[in-house]
Amino acid sequence: MTAPLEISPVKATPAPEAVLTGAGQIEGRSLGQIAWRRLQRDKVAMAGGITVILLVLVAIIGPHITQSPNTYHQNLINPTFSRPVGAFGGISHAHPLGVEPVSGRDVLSRIVNGAQYSLLIAFLATFLAVSLGVIFGVIAGYFGGWLDAVIARSMDVFLAFPLLVFALALVGVIPPTAFGLSGNTLRIALLIFVIGFFNWPYMGRIIRGQTLSLREREFVDAARSLGARPAYILFRELLPNLVAPIIVYSTLLIPANILFEAALSYLGVGLYPPTPTWGGMLSDAVTNQYFQIDPEFMLVPGLAIFITVMAFNLFGDGLRDALDPRTR
Amino acid sequence: MPTLYQMIRFIIRRLIITVFLLIVVSMITFAIFFLIPRLAGQNSYQLASQYVGRNPTPAAIHAIEQKLGFNEPLAVQYGRFAKGIVLGAHYNAGPDKTYCPPPCFGYSFRNQQPVWPMMLSDIPVTASLAFGAACLWLVGGTAIGVLSALRRGSVFDRAAMGIALAGVSLPIFFTGLIALELFSFRWPIFPDLQFVPLTENPYLWARNLVLPWTTLAFLYAALYARLTRAGMLETMGEDYIRTARAKGLPERNVIVKHGLRAALTPIVTIFGLDLGLLLGGAVLTEFTFSLHGLGLFTVLAIQNSDLPQILGVVMLTAFFVVIANLIVDILYAVVDPRVRY
Amino acid sequence: MNRRSIIPLAAAGAVAALGLAACGSAVKTATPSQVAYNAGNTSVVNPSAHKGGTITFNNSSVPDSTDPGNTYYAHMWNMARLYGRSLMTFKSCPGKCGLQLVPDLASARGQVSADGLTWTYHIKPNIRFEDGTKVTTTDIKYAVERTYAKDVLPNGPSYFALLLTDSKYPGPYKDKTPGKLGLKSVDTPNATTIVFHLQKPFADFDYVVSLPQTVPVPQAKDKGANYQLHPVSTGPYKFQNYTLDKQFTLVRNTEWDPATDRNRKQLADKIVVNLNVNADTIDNNLIHNFAHIDMAGTGVQAAARAQVLSSASLRKNADAAPSGFLWFTYINSKVKPLDNVHCRRAVEYAADKVAYQTAYGGPIAGGSIASTVLPPNIVGHQKFDLYGATTKPHGDVAKAEQELAACGQPNGFATNMAFRSDRPKEKAASTAMQQALSEAGIKVTLQGYTSGKYFTNFAGVPTFVHQHDLGLSIGGWAADWPDGYGFLYYLTAGDAIAPAGNTNIGELDDPKVNNLFAKAVATTDAGARNQIWPQIDRQVMSQAVIMPGVYAKSLLYRNPNVTNVFVHLYYGMYDYAALGRK
Repeated sequence: MTAPLEISPVKATPAPEAVLTGAGQIEGRSLGQIAWRRLQRDKVAMAGGITVILLVLVAIIGPHITQSPNTYHQNLINPTFSRPVGAFGGISHAHPLGVEPVSGRDVLSRIVNGAQYSLLIAFLATFLAVSLGVIFGVIAGYFGGWLDAVIARSMDVFLAFPLLVFALALVGVIPPTAFGLSGNTLRIALLIFVIGFFNWPYMGRIIRGQTLSLREREFVDAARSLGARPAYILFRELLPNLVAPIIVYSTLLIPANILFEAALSYLGVGLYPPTPTWGGMLSDAVTNQYFQIDPEFMLVPGLAIFITVMAFNLFGDGLRDALDPRTR
Repeated sequence: MPTLYQMIRFIIRRLIITVFLLIVVSMITFAIFFLIPRLAGQNSYQLASQYVGRNPTPAAIHAIEQKLGFNEPLAVQYGRFAKGIVLGAHYNAGPDKTYCPPPCFGYSFRNQQPVWPMMLSDIPVTASLAFGAACLWLVGGTAIGVLSALRRGSVFDRAAMGIALAGVSLPIFFTGLIALELFSFRWPIFPDLQFVPLTENPYLWARNLVLPWTTLAFLYAALYARLTRAGMLETMGEDYIRTARAKGLPERNVIVKHGLRAALTPIVTIFGLDLGLLLGGAVLTEFTFSLHGLGLFTVLAIQNSDLPQILGVVMLTAFFVVIANLIVDILYAVVDPRVRY
Repeated sequence: MNRRSIIPLAAAGAVAALGLAACGSAVKTATPSQVAYNAGNTSVVNPSAHKGGTITFNNSSVPDSTDPGNTYYAHMWNMARLYGRSLMTFKSCPGKCGLQLVPDLASARGQVSADGLTWTYHIKPNIRFEDGTKVTTTDIKYAVERTYAKDVLPNGPSYFALLLTDSKYPGPYKDKTPGKLGLKSVDTPNATTIVFHLQKPFADFDYVVSLPQTVPVPQAKDKGANYQLHPVSTGPYKFQNYTLDKQFTLVRNTEWDPATDRNRKQLADKIVVNLNVNADTIDNNLIHNFAHIDMAGTGVQAAARAQVLSSASLRKNADAAPSGFLWFTYINSKVKPLDNVHCRRAVEYAADKVAYQTAYGGPIAGGSIASTVLPPNIVGHQKFDLYGATTKPHGDVAKAEQELAACGQPNGFATNMAFRSDRPKEKAASTAMQQALSEAGIKVTLQGYTSGKYFTNFAGVPTFVHQHDLGLSIGGWAADWPDGYGFLYYLTAGDAIAPAGNTNIGELDDPKVNNLFAKAVATTDAGARNQIWPQIDRQVMSQAVIMPGVYAKSLLYRNPNVTNVFVHLYYGMYDYAALGRK
């Protein structure tokens, strides 16, 4: 698991990076603008960010322009060996990334459709984890006392659970129809729930730490002495200062969740066939050892995962550097 | 540095919390495996029919249902389980009763053999994997991180961080499989990867673990390199470093005694947690390399819905994590003089 | 495979003839120059009397039990012969010769009384356990009694409880009689005679006593659920040690007398079985000589298949063995609209057999396209093809649409299909079905279940099937013994429908089929009886409750360092009791 590093909280007052403009007027820049400029200067992070945007676009638009991911093309498969006819896993004009062994399904369309599911699950799970983490972290950090003790202990409990094992167990135990949902809808909901629910302590701990230190700051003191109610302090004073770590760690949590979902699919509790997921495709490539006779079939989803995760990591790193005033 | 008395008080307090934590973990695990199927509509008869092998006659299913106690209320079943851990249990194996001494995690639903000895025999494998990889990644990762921080912006730094990023972004089963395919089958540098106990043949033990160690360590080393680098960069910019340099201390002293020490605190925290979790079984690595450790044990137990085995291994993992955290906290006191208990 | 307990039906008269021409006394062997692809199917490859060495088996999972009375897998039944001898056994030779029953512990076939209700066997004198004590018929009776103790030993078949009188016997662990030999339906008048009393005549009883459940168990050494750790051996090998889920080792049993046993060999010094080996590495282990035999005996995976078949030096070590299985899809006859036979026939016409075959591994490693329920190596097989499986193997959408119109669903319909999610081939096959049927307008939604619970909780529970609209379910079947009765009964007889663990998932309750079964078991003449099986097959196919996929084959790899290798047709894999080392 990516271990979180505490970053120092950014002050609400703007850092003086003033620039002379025109007729001698000194203009301050807001924090966001400063961060944006610094991010722009970091070429690698920008590359990551652009890749992320491209991937999201592909995931949204792609399934509409590629062919059906479930059509079998038996004529492209050698029946004795169950592998694609032709080099590099059957690459051709019609199938730019080749076809799968046994079924002959188009790999490109499966990757693109898989992107949809992988990203959807990762985003929603991250959203769940972040929401829970922020809520509990802020409450624990701000109110302290027994509330903090209870929340901190439950975070310990969750962190003591072997994550992967539990996810595996939970998803394996629930039958295909339960709680009013069935099939893939149920699975997707389960995966989002499991990944998000078991990940919230990571976010929770960071936010709690940040809140603890922010609580002692002068501006919070000032607001309190002015008679502001806790809700006001939470929303107007603390939360804006937490936005930076929230964004940064969300961006870093998403790739971890993509990997997590891939691992679950690999271990056999992914979505039902024929729905493609990246982890599921890797798993297919591995059981039956197709990767030895058709290595391209394993490389494509592996690289897809790799590029996506790398892009998010680069972008997240760059974002973190940009928002932290101390790193130069 | 806290006094011995304070330390002991602290440890005792933490141990009590540990016990409490383990109880909670066991309850939650129990609930998941028993409650959820019922919530999703299964009754105890259907539950029992999974453990009857391939010949599910109603007589057999009823017999198993009775024997494994599925038709009893949840609280009673949990009570029996808890009692077994503390006091041991008697089990009807046919012609006579066998006694299972504490801690008795029950008997496997599948082959009716006690769970605890099966787990015990898997611990050396996981321990070998975990400790070996841990040494590799801790030393390698932090070393690279320190060097990168010191030579910030250089080719070394960029290359190292690039590779580290790649390491963190690749799924471990992917790297493991490629490693296996290349170094065990295609170019048989490490042929026939079977676990050989350390006591039997240290050379073979190490040789057959090299691939799993490097695959696992690669992932974590990447993480630790990034962390160490970031931590070092932060501390090296602090005032007291500047003071130390101004005082004329040798550079190595400055780096190691002052810079690294402060940067190590978050590393130590995470290391404890990571090692603890890993001792519960590096599921994906063991699965890929067929190492019969606790991780593989867990996957198989889940596939067979073997509740006693699952309960046993989850509790054991939780135990390792909590103990690891305890040790880390103690180390904190040693490493960081500001910590008070 | 799935086997279910049978219900005894009336059968009077003589022992069923096995209907197979006995092999000539000379068994074909293949000299080194004749080692070739598929040689193991018809001859003994690498024949040798050389003693010594260790044979290493790899198993991708663990046995359900090593206790011969508590296991239900073909590879375990094969393995158990190394340390256990039952009353009867199958002859150890390649080809159809291996489907013959011959006496093992018994000195001759069972003698039936005139009313067919009493079967008597005499065992050979001076057979000893591994500790030197003599085997008596009370040990066999005790072994049979153990099969009634379902709470301790739940895994094995239940034929004795169903066929013999005194079905309420509670098992020896709850037996209150002194000596614990209270099973009234089995008598042991002396140390070498054993008598079984049946509820109704059952001509196939010799098959029943060939099961490993008649392997004798000495009562003094029985440990119930723990007996699996060291079953007391009557075979050529005995247990040296057993680390659960990891490994067990067998060594020579000096008390085994080869003069009394012509179906086993004792060539190697040691047999090591490694358990829970990653399935993907087993094939490489075989090819690189890190292991000698894949215990599951179901063939190599796709990568090794490609490697083996495309290399001349490896290809000659391969055998495409008929495994005795049929892979197929059940078509339920109660779920609407499949309750109308024309809708079911539409499914039969629309299915793409080639895709199905490819899913299971193609013609060599998957099997040949099937058009009947009975596979070719079962007595009673006759070739016929009602739905163009061999003439139009990619499916006949036009005919399918005609049938859809006839059943009142001209625009197709929707239904669900069950399969075992942890079996990649079944996943691929059901996806193939889904794809092919969609071309005829039949929309199939796939639902995966774990194989452990497939029959007990899901597809094998008729109420579950109806509730979840599971019109189609994947299945695979091999008979407990190789005659038409053994293959067809549990799949198609009305009486075989059960509320859980059902294997007649099509829920066929056809009077014509049921009457044919009744007629068959009442027919004493083997020749006449064997004419009835194909009639049942035809009727079942015309009712379209089963869509046969492939007659399964496994591509087995023969490690050249192993001697006396051949495919045993009953087990569908190499005969484990014949092997030796170079």
